[in-house]
Amino acid sequence: MSRPLDGIRILDFTHVLAGPFATRILGDMGADVVKVNSIDRATGVNLATHPYFLQFNRNKRSLALDMAQEASRSLSRKLCDEADIVINNFSVGVLKRWGIDFDTVAETNAGVIYAEMSGMGDTGPWSKFVTYAPTIHALSGLTHLTGVPGREDIGLGFSYNDHQAGLHAVVAILAALEARNRTGKGQRIDMSQFEVGVNFSGPSLLDWFANGNAARPTGNKLPYDHAAPHNCYKCADTIDDSIENERWIAIACMDENQWQAFKNVMGNPDWANSPQFNSAAERVNASDELDQAISAWTLDLEAAEVMEQCQRAGVPAGIVQNGVDLVEKDPQLAAYDFFQPMEGEHPEYGTMTGDRLPLYFSATPCDDYPRTRELGEDNAAVLTDWLQMSPEEYRVHDESGLLK
Amino acid sequence: MSNPEGALSGVRIIDLTDERGIYGAKLLADLGADVVRPEPPTGDPLRSRGPRLATAPEDQQSLWFAFFASSRRFFTLDLSTAEGNNQLQSLIERASIVLTCKGAFGVNEAKLDEALEKRPELIVIDVTSFGNEGPWANYVSSDLVDGALGGAAATTGDADTAPLKFFGELNYMTSGAYTAIAALSALHHTRSTGEGQRVGVPVQQCIASCLEHVLMFYSYNEQFASTDGPILPRRGSLHWSNAYQVMQAKGGSIMITPTPNIEAQLTWLIEEDAFEDLLDPKYMEPENVQLLIQRIMEVLTTWAGEQDVEALFLAAQERHSPYGWVLPIEKVAENPQLAFREWWQDYKIGAETIKGPGAPYHLSENPWQLQHHGHLDDNTDDILKEIGWTNARGNQS
Repeated sequence: MSRPLDGIRILDFTHVLAGPFATRILGDMGADVVKVNSIDRATGVNLATHPYFLQFNRNKRSLALDMAQEASRSLSRKLCDEADIVINNFSVGVLKRWGIDFDTVAETNAGVIYAEMSGMGDTGPWSKFVTYAPTIHALSGLTHLTGVPGREDIGLGFSYNDHQAGLHAVVAILAALEARNRTGKGQRIDMSQFEVGVNFSGPSLLDWFANGNAARPTGNKLPYDHAAPHNCYKCADTIDDSIENERWIAIACMDENQWQAFKNVMGNPDWANSPQFNSAAERVNASDELDQAISAWTLDLEAAEVMEQCQRAGVPAGIVQNGVDLVEKDPQLAAYDFFQPMEGEHPEYGTMTGDRLPLYFSATPCDDYPRTRELGEDNAAVLTDWLQMSPEEYRVHDESGLLK
Repeated sequence: MSNPEGALSGVRIIDLTDERGIYGAKLLADLGADVVRPEPPTGDPLRSRGPRLATAPEDQQSLWFAFFASSRRFFTLDLSTAEGNNQLQSLIERASIVLTCKGAFGVNEAKLDEALEKRPELIVIDVTSFGNEGPWANYVSSDLVDGALGGAAATTGDADTAPLKFFGELNYMTSGAYTAIAALSALHHTRSTGEGQRVGVPVQQCIASCLEHVLMFYSYNEQFASTDGPILPRRGSLHWSNAYQVMQAKGGSIMITPTPNIEAQLTWLIEEDAFEDLLDPKYMEPENVQLLIQRIMEVLTTWAGEQDVEALFLAAQERHSPYGWVLPIEKVAENPQLAFREWWQDYKIGAETIKGPGAPYHLSENPWQLQHHGHLDDNTDDILKEIGWTNARGNQS
């Protein structure tokens, strides 16, 4: 069965997370993604056997090219001519040094969509800065804002901005594809992962410029609106004092009806009818007392029990799920086969499992998840498909030491 | 209000989203699609979200709404009347894409199955919290609860805090981005084949697909020395690799990492005469990499405490070390990189022009462009005429 991006060819020079996540999504949706790596230069999370690499590079074909050699760069140039999309998240200037910058590629491939996902964008005093997601989180305000009042050393618990940079690159690429469908013309996309990150604080930045209000971390409280309770509460099935064995429930009463329903779930205790909890604004003002009272209630109950009781009453509540919960216990994700085996046996890891694309297309379902390939595993197939290389030409290239 | 120069010029979208999908509609609108957002005569409830601009007209005071509902055309619909329902059908008949969130305004009245039967090229995006099937299909949620059930909260926070929600609406910005991807990939398929379709977008799964190391630790935990099992507990800013952490410097906090080039970091510490015992040969043994990382982070913590934060950040970047100065929002607002790239955009809200966030990407041929943020009913007459109604709330022509 067809997938939405069938027939789209992508030449992928990405590494680490942001770029590979973008091309993983495009590959999941049917694009023929050819990921270019140098076997000799792969280190750390870019090693083909590193779990990080394995996780973010399924649904792609692997071409090994030693870009230190001129002949490899020439080969990559020919591949660029066959691509609908060329994408990289190297620092500014790397692909130009290889002779495959946008201007050069567009000379012979006017329809190419050329996406650059650098840390800071291709211009400006910080354009050469080196960034990973924790760098972007820090510089964009995300680290400062996510935490509890008085601290700025917590921040987001994983590389959120890498994923979001990947998602935004996909949006920009698909928009450029739509433009090309209309005009026949390709274009260049300059994406700064920093600008993606700053964008996430949109309302707070408007508040700063409009009113001079500087946002500060608020824990689990909403920064601007009144909703209470709105927090995570420890539950009875906490096994011991270690953090990984704690059980928590998130409860969010977003309106008055949900608060009234929640009071009923708790058995309408006297404290909940105290005047200090009458309105959402009052509950926010007295949130310490409110949270303390709710914690006393949840500490006698298992998290799943609280969730079920609350949900039955129409109150938003959910277990704070960790990786084990998601994969082994969550009945909703299981109903969707959200975690599934990747197709094909990996030579080292055997059958690998992974999370599927969270999009469900009725006419073009995306249900194919071939495993991550070893570096260079698809050299012959790619060069045959994309460049119509004959077996003899391929043998010459292989023996010349380019394809590694 | 389609931007004729935008990448999505000519694409007509009806936006029936709430918080779970509204960011996706924003992404599409700012890229030039003509996105019409119907709302009840009393106004979209999201117009009450804070922060607010007190000097603006009542229906335009929400800065939250100005950001998330940017570049839209607004259209009031009274769905308690046959006329309002007919107008909604007329809107959908002219649309390429309909974005919906389960339970949002107009979704139940939109008759989208019938619309798809009549127009097989139509694309409908269905954002739900958990999907339409399964035991939690009817569960109610919020950004906090979706973040908890999706796995984001468990790893955010510190040992002495509860699990934490991200500031703002970051979980819903993830589902929003997926919403835009669903719409545009389905549109590409329609352009190729003429075939439309529905696309389901469960928010919980969107969040669970963006957890970086969480699932990696579950599947491959034996390969990581930094954990005893498949769960990495929340631990403040300390990265799963143990090699990135926010440290205190003079004048502020800074995210410090000795990666990707630990040797270069060691050289720098030697130059600063701050290397302590890091030259001990035991740290050079391949099996002691984690020991080295642990020790170098300790040394860096002490050293950073004596440095001016801004000078340290700039010196690190000069050496290609990816340190990150932890900036509060007011410092982000005066960032020289953003200023150089003329990144900030003017948001016209009421009579005022407010500086605000610009484009998350730059397309060389089709510039991203923010459209004027209008009143509740600003576009109703124009839209009514476009769908064949002669005048506001008047007769069908």
